[in-house]
Amino acid sequence: MTQFTTDVVIGLEIHAELKTKTKLFCGCPTTGSEEPNTRTCVTCLGMPGSKPVLNRQAVEHGLRVALALQSDIAPRLVFSRKSYFYPDMSKNYQITQYELPLGSGGRLALPDGREVGMVRLHLEEDPASLVHPDGMQGSAYVLVDYNRSGNPLLEMVTKPDMTSPEQARDFLKQLITVLDYLEVFDLNEGIIKADANVSIKESAYTRVEIKNITGFREIERALKHEVARQRAAVKDGQAIEQETRSWDSEKGMTFTLRKKETEEDYGYIIDPDLVPITLDKEYVEKLRSELPELAQEKLKKFQEEQGIEETTANVLAKDKGLAAMYEQISRQVDPQLTAKWVRRELPRVLNYNKKSLEESGITAEHMTTLLRLIQEKRITEKIGQRLIEKLGEGLFDVEEHVQREGLETLQDASLVEQACKEAIAENASVVEQVKAGEQKAFNFLVGQVMKKTKGKADPKTVNETLKGLL
Amino acid sequence: MRDIFAGLREGSIDIVEHTRKCLDEAKRLNEEYHHLTVLSEERALAQAERLKKSFEKSKDKPLFGYLVSAKDAICVKGVETTAGSRILKGYKPLFDATVIRRVEEAGGIILGKTAQDEFGFGTFGVNVGLDHPIPLNPIDKQRSCGGSSSGAGGLARIAPFPHISLGESTGGSIANPASFCGVYGLTPTYGRVSRHGLIDYGNSLDKIGTLGNDLPDAGKLLRVISGHDPKDSTSLTLEALKEEGGGDVKGLKMGVIKESFGSGVDDAVAETVRKGISALENGGASVEEVSLEFPLKYSLAAYYVLAMSEASTNLAKYCGMRYGQSAELKGSFNDYFSSVRESHFTREAKRRIIMGTFARMSGHRDAFYLKAASVRTRIIKAYKEAFKRFDVLVSPTTPVVAPRFDEIEKLTPLQHYQMDQLLVGPNLAGLPHLSVPIGEATGMPVGMLLIGDHLKEETLMRAGNALGDKT
Repeated sequence: MTQFTTDVVIGLEIHAELKTKTKLFCGCPTTGSEEPNTRTCVTCLGMPGSKPVLNRQAVEHGLRVALALQSDIAPRLVFSRKSYFYPDMSKNYQITQYELPLGSGGRLALPDGREVGMVRLHLEEDPASLVHPDGMQGSAYVLVDYNRSGNPLLEMVTKPDMTSPEQARDFLKQLITVLDYLEVFDLNEGIIKADANVSIKESAYTRVEIKNITGFREIERALKHEVARQRAAVKDGQAIEQETRSWDSEKGMTFTLRKKETEEDYGYIIDPDLVPITLDKEYVEKLRSELPELAQEKLKKFQEEQGIEETTANVLAKDKGLAAMYEQISRQVDPQLTAKWVRRELPRVLNYNKKSLEESGITAEHMTTLLRLIQEKRITEKIGQRLIEKLGEGLFDVEEHVQREGLETLQDASLVEQACKEAIAENASVVEQVKAGEQKAFNFLVGQVMKKTKGKADPKTVNETLKGLL
Repeated sequence: MRDIFAGLREGSIDIVEHTRKCLDEAKRLNEEYHHLTVLSEERALAQAERLKKSFEKSKDKPLFGYLVSAKDAICVKGVETTAGSRILKGYKPLFDATVIRRVEEAGGIILGKTAQDEFGFGTFGVNVGLDHPIPLNPIDKQRSCGGSSSGAGGLARIAPFPHISLGESTGGSIANPASFCGVYGLTPTYGRVSRHGLIDYGNSLDKIGTLGNDLPDAGKLLRVISGHDPKDSTSLTLEALKEEGGGDVKGLKMGVIKESFGSGVDDAVAETVRKGISALENGGASVEEVSLEFPLKYSLAAYYVLAMSEASTNLAKYCGMRYGQSAELKGSFNDYFSSVRESHFTREAKRRIIMGTFARMSGHRDAFYLKAASVRTRIIKAYKEAFKRFDVLVSPTTPVVAPRFDEIEKLTPLQHYQMDQLLVGPNLAGLPHLSVPIGEATGMPVGMLLIGDHLKEETLMRAGNALGDKT
């Protein structure tokens, strides 16, 4: 009997490339030359007689993730050999963890509050990459690039706790956010791949495994397609078979890889070249105490302590850079004002200039100065927007610029009144409409005054002055 | 030999000339005995030239004047290294094993690679892959050198020039040929010597050690190659081995393993070993019998399950993709890999791959692989228990003297494996052991096995020295 009740059941097995300087078992760099087979050595090429030596940084990265996902940490590190023959394997076995994974159990909360349980997390080495010069089907030969061979991977297996492709997407997004916060994964260069187990109620939850899905957008697409495929098949009276399928991103469909009558047998043995290493409690606790505050915790803090509404809090929390900026600025500036600008104005300017936050060079100091000027009503929001747009193009001292260019809000009420009078005199017909109660017309007048004052008039003062004059 | 060393150090003998002479003699002998698969002539002469150039600095190095041969499984950069297998024929490593580097740094000259049973799979040196002639016992050419460090044993005995062999033992492959050829075979504690650059048989068992006509030579080479290596995670950080010149065994507690004189052990062999034990007793050692029933009964089975399980994964890389011969490309990659492996592995290699794979498949894994691992833990415990009472455990090295080739042909695989029965225990437990040529039976050498507690190589050498020169 199955324990499932939902329409769709999804479990994920995720492989994330850890951001380390060197490979998992040798000193070759994980990044650098893209020229094939240049970042290799006797170990990652599996040369007879070579031996693996474990990378401490990879272990620490893995431990940080396991701790962040609240997994139980293994008392010691043990590695196994997973044997199978494949042309991308230099040794025809992969060094992985089997008996005793780095982390067992754990959970990750989705933005909607639902939790996805974790089964295990373990470290393993990446195989080489196969290059098909004329595409998967059309190539007469295949090339092997061992640059990737031995890169550190963290495999994370979830419980079948997700009930829709959207949820699987949210999970993967959330997981990537965690990996980014922990600084163990390179958002731009790192590769994250997923295999998904998916089944539907109509087939009595017959499990189909989908391999080879890259990234969170793909996972939703692949799973939506697969759920629809399974439903259509059942409707047609076909039986869903337990099998492994592969996702073809270009064609947008899955196809059969192998029918799974029997489980594959990898003949695991302990890798005797790697001595078991005790993970002493003190070390693990130190790592735990050094974990940064994660997105989920930040979200809670932004909402509950600073009263930021949910959507904005979410946008801020899930982006490590924006969250850090918000936190720094909001120490000196009103959190609501800060949230609004960090969430909307800053990303708007970055998008327009096609720059990342780092590339733009805009710092919390720039933003703090800018927002403080707004908060203190020394400049208008309009001027503020112009300033941030200018910052997007190139950096400058905000305070100095405002003074030099005379951008401060007009404090002299007579100047504002003068502009208002001019606007009224020049737009007689609009004034009529205003008097007839048209808000749009009034807004037009306000706009005219702002234009005359080059955006330096305080909109509130303009409003009041106009109303008084009319 | 002493004159040679004196001459070399004084400079009256030129190191390059000396090397050339040794190479010639080795070549001549090899035509008759086939102990070497390849002579690393170029490399040896280049090293000799280097030593000559830096003569003042080099002449006092511990291995100055010595030629050192390496079991074929030990990688020597640019020198054909096949681990005795046709599948690796023509393979020239791109790097030196750590032991090779250390030998040269200590002033030694690499002579060449010695013949072995394919990947270490054998006890008689008759499983020398598919192409190499079988190495012959220096005392009787009708007989085996033992194995799997066959050529290492034979050459250690017969080389008429300063020479020490680097051997390797997984389940007794140093002691066995040492015993059959009548030389000293010194197998260190697992972890004392780096395995970086050693082509794997069973990684949890493989130990590089030394074979020499004289014990001080074997000890000297072991001291040179010992020590931590960051390239091998299983290598230990230890104090350097001390030079153990003395042979004082007064107060040394010897435990004679009762079961090792039981059935299957040749009477003449047992008697010769007992004489050696008496000699130690006369030297002031206390001798007592000790029962090691559990290790003697179960070591062989546990050893073969574990060694074959590990070997079957180690040999997977020889498939014609990166390593191993190539064949005609047809069919799927699986067909191709199979055709390469089928054509170039011997029957024994295939047997061990199949049995080792079987023992680790799900459904059998618990009953074989994991069971053997837990038996191994119990075996280690049993030895550790014995070492609370004794300094050295004693038994014959092999139950018989070197057999004739026609006798070997009649043995079943199981009888082959039983040849290791006295040796697999200490190998499984990672214990250091020394085979001492203790005498002769029916005209062939007999080895006496001294087993020490972990890291007690010095004690073994002391006992070995006490037994003096071969009788």
